Amino acid sequence: MKLAADRVLSLLLLGLAAFVAVQAWQLQVPFSYDPLGPKAVPLMLAGLLAILAVVLFVRPGASGEWPTGALLLRLVFTMAVLGFYAALFINLGFLVTTALVSIVIAWLFGATPLKAVVGGLLLALGSYLLFTYGLGISLPTGSWIEPLLGSD
Amino acid sequence: MFDFLIQGFGVALTPLNLGLAFLGALLGTLFGALPGIGPINGIAILMPLAYTLGLPAESALILLAGIYTGSEYGGRMSSILLNVPGDAGAVMTTLDGHPLAKKGLAGPALGLSAVSSFIGATVAIVGLTLFAPLLAVVAVKFGPAEFFALMIFAFASMSAMMGKDPLKTLIGAVLGVLISTVGVDSGTGVLRFTFDMPELYDGIDFVVMIIGLFAVSEILLMLEHAFRHDQDGEMAPVGRVMVKLSEVMFCKWAILRSSVIGFVIGVLPGTGASVASAVAYTTEKRISDRDNTFGTGDMRGLAAPEAANNASAAGSFVPMLTLGIPGSGTTAILLGALMLYNINPGPMMFREQPVVVGGLIASLYIGNVMLLLLNLPLAGVFARVLQVPRWILVPSVAILAFVGVYQLHSDLMAIYLMLVIGVFGYLLRKFGFSLAPVVLGFVLGGLMEENLRRALSISGGDVAILFQSGLSIGLWIAAALVVLVPMFAGKLKAKFLPAGK
Repeated sequence: MKLAADRVLSLLLLGLAAFVAVQAWQLQVPFSYDPLGPKAVPLMLAGLLAILAVVLFVRPGASGEWPTGALLLRLVFTMAVLGFYAALFINLGFLVTTALVSIVIAWLFGATPLKAVVGGLLLALGSYLLFTYGLGISLPTGSWIEPLLGSD
Repeated sequence: MFDFLIQGFGVALTPLNLGLAFLGALLGTLFGALPGIGPINGIAILMPLAYTLGLPAESALILLAGIYTGSEYGGRMSSILLNVPGDAGAVMTTLDGHPLAKKGLAGPALGLSAVSSFIGATVAIVGLTLFAPLLAVVAVKFGPAEFFALMIFAFASMSAMMGKDPLKTLIGAVLGVLISTVGVDSGTGVLRFTFDMPELYDGIDFVVMIIGLFAVSEILLMLEHAFRHDQDGEMAPVGRVMVKLSEVMFCKWAILRSSVIGFVIGVLPGTGASVASAVAYTTEKRISDRDNTFGTGDMRGLAAPEAANNASAAGSFVPMLTLGIPGSGTTAILLGALMLYNINPGPMMFREQPVVVGGLIASLYIGNVMLLLLNLPLAGVFARVLQVPRWILVPSVAILAFVGVYQLHSDLMAIYLMLVIGVFGYLLRKFGFSLAPVVLGFVLGGLMEENLRRALSISGGDVAILFQSGLSIGLWIAAALVVLVPMFAGKLKAKFLPAGK
């Protein structure tokens, strides 16, 4: 039996259904004004999901094309870049992180290094000006820059 | 009876709101035309903007509705010029639109699609104006039991009509409802699925959910496309921009028929542009394709789906504004946006928020005219948006996503959550799910549970209350029919038409 993507999905969904059911079952309900309470709907959803997952297991569809090798690596790398963007967004500030992340993403999408650097810098600067002065959003300037500016 | 509309025009014609309708139309067209973005992604990415500007509810809704209808206009560009549909609703547009472009008629094709879109939308907006107040009168009779039945009907019609895979549509909707149960239970104060993370106590934030699901997953999908080099074909030159009156007249019946079809399908909760354009195209092919020219660049084959998908876009406002049940994935996003303004969608909205409802409908009339005026002469300019290189587009989408979430929450947790949801959305799309049912489930889930529990507390736990009134019985039957008829229709067809078509 070939392991279709839908069968894997079905098992994942069954696991999710079981997890939801257990979690819902363990809810401590001190007092409920309505006869159903907060447990019923998640339990029903878990049941429905389990049934649908079984149907999916019995009748899986085509598996589609899944990323492998270099492409998978690139996808993971992109997510890592976005995670890095999130982690440093506040401390390093919008301008620096946005420029760095834009350069890397542009390079990932096939821009030459020169284009990536110029494009990334322009994007960061342009969007900073647009958001700050055009739309009045306050973006993080970065904690490192404040001592340099000598601000209080 | 049409007081709401007069009041609405009063709202929509203020300089601010006129400007916003124009801005929405322009941004919507641009984002809809961006390669790989498409209408629903466009509105998801631009939604936080409405809050950033600190607009009152009706103005924000006018801006978003402008983006919505504008992106339906913009979505046709890549279908016609590149043969790449921006979303499911635009698939039918490629069938005759791209062959027309290859014949050197790209300009007239764009013009014709703008005119058909305009007529389709106008027919549907008039329909909306006429039917919404009528439906709102009926809607007032809805109690919690009827509401619950209505939502079951919405999910049933969605799974039967939307997407190629009803099973996955249903699973997607269940997942959406499950996600909506995260957070404090409003009835008892019990924390559900929060895993001791205070950030989750208020539930998963709507903007975080939408941006993660659409924008972040889109970044990953675009990376795949870029890696496989499997699109971006030669772009057909636009050429003559104006469509001739004779060409429009040639399609007039196709346009009118498809407008009505699109409106009716748009009104059905849960079914949107993709179903409408498919039904309109196949109907038109059956009626007027005498010389087998459909699929080879027949103008009627382009006009029909274009009129229908814009008509359904306006039609899906009917259930949203009167019942609080979105007619499509995109209106589900708009509905979620309304809820952020503490406007409870539902039968009372029409009565309690005439300014919002009337202003929205009036701005649809205005926006539609603006879109025609923008799109007819400027098609060539908008077409250039298609050539924006991805290495600029993708970082821009990432920046918009981050700033959108950051300015709402100023909180890193929200951004991380957005990234996690993005991976989840990417996996769903790789598994062949469409995201609209997930959004619909997410938006409707809370309302569904609330109404079910309210109904059962009225009856003291007796389930019979769900099947007591004529209205709810009718809705249950309708829900059953929507699911069963296509199943049997398929079998009957196979029985009576063995072999061939």
